Amino acid sequence: MRAFIPLVGLALSAQVQAQSVVTSPGPQRVAVTVYRDTDRGLQPLNLQWLGGYALVSETRRVRLPAGDSELRFEGVTAGIVPQSAIVTGLGPAVLEKNRDARLLSPGALLDASLGERLTLRRTSRATGKTVVQDAIVRATNDGVVIQTKAGIEALRCTGLPETLLAPEVPVGLSAKPTLSVRVRSPEPVETDVTLSYISNNFDWQANYVAELSQDKRRIRLFAWMTLANGDETSLADAETQAVAGKLNRQRVWIDPGERKPIQINCWPQGTTSDIPEAAPVTALDAEEIVVTGSRIMQAPPPPPPPPPAAPERDKVMAEEERLGEVRLYRIPIEVMIASRSQKQVALLERPSVKIERILKLRTYGGEFDQPLERVLVTRNRPAEGLGLPLPAGKLALFGEKDGRRILLGEGSIDDHTIGEKVEIRVGQAPGVRARQTVDSREKGDGLFHLTLTNDLPEAQTVEVELPLDAKARGAKLAKRDGWMLWRVAVPANGSAELRYRIGDQG
Amino acid sequence: MRVLLLLCTALAAPSLAQSALPAPGQTAQGDVAVTIYNNNRALIEDKRLLDLPGGRSRQEFRDVSASIEPATVTLNGRGVGVVEQNFDFDLLSPAALMQNAVGQTVTLVRVNPANGAETRERARILAANGGVVMQIGDRIEVLRDDGLPARVIFDGVPPSLRARPTLSVTVDADGGGRRPVTLTYLTPGLGWAADYVALFDEANGRMDVQGWVTLTNNSGTPYINASTLLVAGAVGQANPYGRRYDGRYVPPPPPPPPPGGLVRAGTETAGRERLGDFYLYPLPERTTIADKQTKQVSFLDVKNTPAARAYEFRNGWLSTSDQPLSANTVLRFSSSRNQGLGDALPAGTVRVYQRDARGNPQFVGEHQIGHTPMGSDIGLVTGQAFDVKVRPVVEERTRISSSRWKTRMRYTLTNAGPRPITVDLVQAGLWGDTRIDSESLKSERLSADEARWRVPVPANGEASVTATFDSRY
Repeated sequence: MRAFIPLVGLALSAQVQAQSVVTSPGPQRVAVTVYRDTDRGLQPLNLQWLGGYALVSETRRVRLPAGDSELRFEGVTAGIVPQSAIVTGLGPAVLEKNRDARLLSPGALLDASLGERLTLRRTSRATGKTVVQDAIVRATNDGVVIQTKAGIEALRCTGLPETLLAPEVPVGLSAKPTLSVRVRSPEPVETDVTLSYISNNFDWQANYVAELSQDKRRIRLFAWMTLANGDETSLADAETQAVAGKLNRQRVWIDPGERKPIQINCWPQGTTSDIPEAAPVTALDAEEIVVTGSRIMQAPPPPPPPPPAAPERDKVMAEEERLGEVRLYRIPIEVMIASRSQKQVALLERPSVKIERILKLRTYGGEFDQPLERVLVTRNRPAEGLGLPLPAGKLALFGEKDGRRILLGEGSIDDHTIGEKVEIRVGQAPGVRARQTVDSREKGDGLFHLTLTNDLPEAQTVEVELPLDAKARGAKLAKRDGWMLWRVAVPANGSAELRYRIGDQG
Repeated sequence: MRVLLLLCTALAAPSLAQSALPAPGQTAQGDVAVTIYNNNRALIEDKRLLDLPGGRSRQEFRDVSASIEPATVTLNGRGVGVVEQNFDFDLLSPAALMQNAVGQTVTLVRVNPANGAETRERARILAANGGVVMQIGDRIEVLRDDGLPARVIFDGVPPSLRARPTLSVTVDADGGGRRPVTLTYLTPGLGWAADYVALFDEANGRMDVQGWVTLTNNSGTPYINASTLLVAGAVGQANPYGRRYDGRYVPPPPPPPPPGGLVRAGTETAGRERLGDFYLYPLPERTTIADKQTKQVSFLDVKNTPAARAYEFRNGWLSTSDQPLSANTVLRFSSSRNQGLGDALPAGTVRVYQRDARGNPQFVGEHQIGHTPMGSDIGLVTGQAFDVKVRPVVEERTRISSSRWKTRMRYTLTNAGPRPITVDLVQAGLWGDTRIDSESLKSERLSADEARWRVPVPANGEASVTATFDSRY
């Protein structure tokens, strides 16, 4: 029976066929290190579009025969950067690494069957009877042309339910891009192989929860490590790390593989009537097609925002270590990094951090009337109750009123190392305002009048930063970090004023 | 003539079992040699054994690159003269088939939707414009005007319509028989770059480097059991956009890599094969380059080469920064014979790894390099230091005349790391006539635009540099 000859669409040489194929279906152990999207800045994580990446290291047990063989790695992430793959444990046996992106799709199946003999099946709508016959695929470019015993025909230009059946999947087509190595071993071996690669579509950030003490001079600081996996592959029981810091990356183009439908195009099919022909498929068929399509198109639902709840005691806490010039956080237990999901693990905790709550304003002159910004200021030192690297992330500030938690503000922190001053803007104070008017202007000089008002029943510390050439009347300005600083305590339910000049004349 | 051809195919059509289709699993390619350049281009040399009749004959070449540049094809063989070369891309499709059948007769099989009964008729196609108009007996009918199922069966495929674009050459042979001919052509869709894995041992100042050549095939065709040669360079391409459009998406060729990281170009000659200006990287074995395949083969494996970490910070102009900014971390190494990798490095991406506390390699950044001669000094920016920060601040800016200003800068450098380090602090934006009037540390003027201080910063400590610039406004 010659009808079911194997469909080797694109021929392979004798050399390749002589190889045995060894498939490693999945890892025995997996370790993953997640890296941040450094271009994201302080934007929130978007699970649909993760710009970070991960280093995935998989340990796989493989058994290789003597001679040449192809070792295929299945179950790698979809976001793999194939150029970055490293295979260790096989020594010099590795001849080459390959990644094949010829995907099995309806279009690719027909393309690979060009010139081959397939089975054509026609079903009668009236009787349900099927007629099966041989057909050779003659063209797949722009519509499908087949050759049957009767002659040359075009597929599905007839109004009849008809389809082509292939006896098997052509060699070289796979469901996903496949990574493989060609190895040569003098004898059969069973060994552990480590496959490491960089995979796109991961990200992480820190989520800080700060609880303000009753006297408003201290916060309890807790941080979650929020890991996100946007890939379709889950990493089970993974030894998990995250790297804080900004590393350089290069853009690479990765062939995602072609997902090709069968193109059914016919000759011109105009008729004498413009009334559309009755749909040749039944309503049930149409519904099925819609359901399948929507499943592919539908994005997974957005994840719930990270819970800002206070953690319970005895959390599993990430361990921090120095890695070159960045910081590595290690989750001490193996965790499941599920596909298309995010996960939170305790990152750090400091029970009592000394802070100063101030209000800030920066002015270059001009007229304005605006609320001031509330800023938490501390120094990342043990003396303040801190003194550990702070990876970038979001911060939520909570207070307590009659036993109820109240969100007081939200802000973000960039990477801060030990010893640095930390300033976190947590929002605006609507009742503490700054109003500035211009008293006079002459020859590039300006004389300004700044009034700060406070509607709170406590005095508020305000820092106003003025340009270097500002000169105040009746108040002392200090120079700090390239600005002239006016630091003033605005009394409870009171106000403070400053008259200053910007320009040469002074 | 056409009628005759149609007749022949019509006669051949029913005898499917004898149809001259190639046996599966075979390629028409012969002994293939592939030479791949960096700019998404390759030269294919294909030695085939052809059975040629004496005199003129038309030979079709299957399994050439689907992206072939047909104008670059040459065919050589002893006693074989080329009369003409054709590249036919009139493709077979239902519409083309119908267009070609205008004036011809086809078989129409109508299927009764109620009982499936078939009736056969011969129909003459009159026109295929917008819809198909045909003559059946003495009446004119529009194909499937009634919406009922009807199969159109053509007697044959016109020889000018092909399933794939096909290269054919008419040759004049001085005698019959089997003989080797060599087909050479250029094709886009094949390219290569290098990928390096550098495992950096910071404590010992050493690094292990593995180099892989990564070649990609997007040409639409596999090359079977090919002898492969990679050329580190891009041959000039007269008209890179003048390619025939064939409807397939071909990714744009990658832009040439930036000359990143080259500190000083080397002048040593590597012990590699060369051709003209280019280094050659032959693959050690014949290999099959499948379509849509990325293939990596090792070409470099160096252990224990010296490498060091350095820190760089560049301030773009005389300005204040709101926050302390991280210094860049730079991996310094050499490609020289004595103190380095001892090889020329083809352009590609260097990925740097370091071991964590448990000894597992972790990724710590990557950077691209251009083609790098042997003996070069290389400094790759792999990322930003978490613990090393610089804060440039304008302390004072005063006008000293109508066009000149004096600016006093203070740079505060902090190091939260446990080791003393040296930071290369560069102030750029000096625009030639900016002078440094005074400075707390001796600077080096790298160029008219840039000055550099090498600032030692103690472990877990701080250092600062002040300098006063006299600049034109």
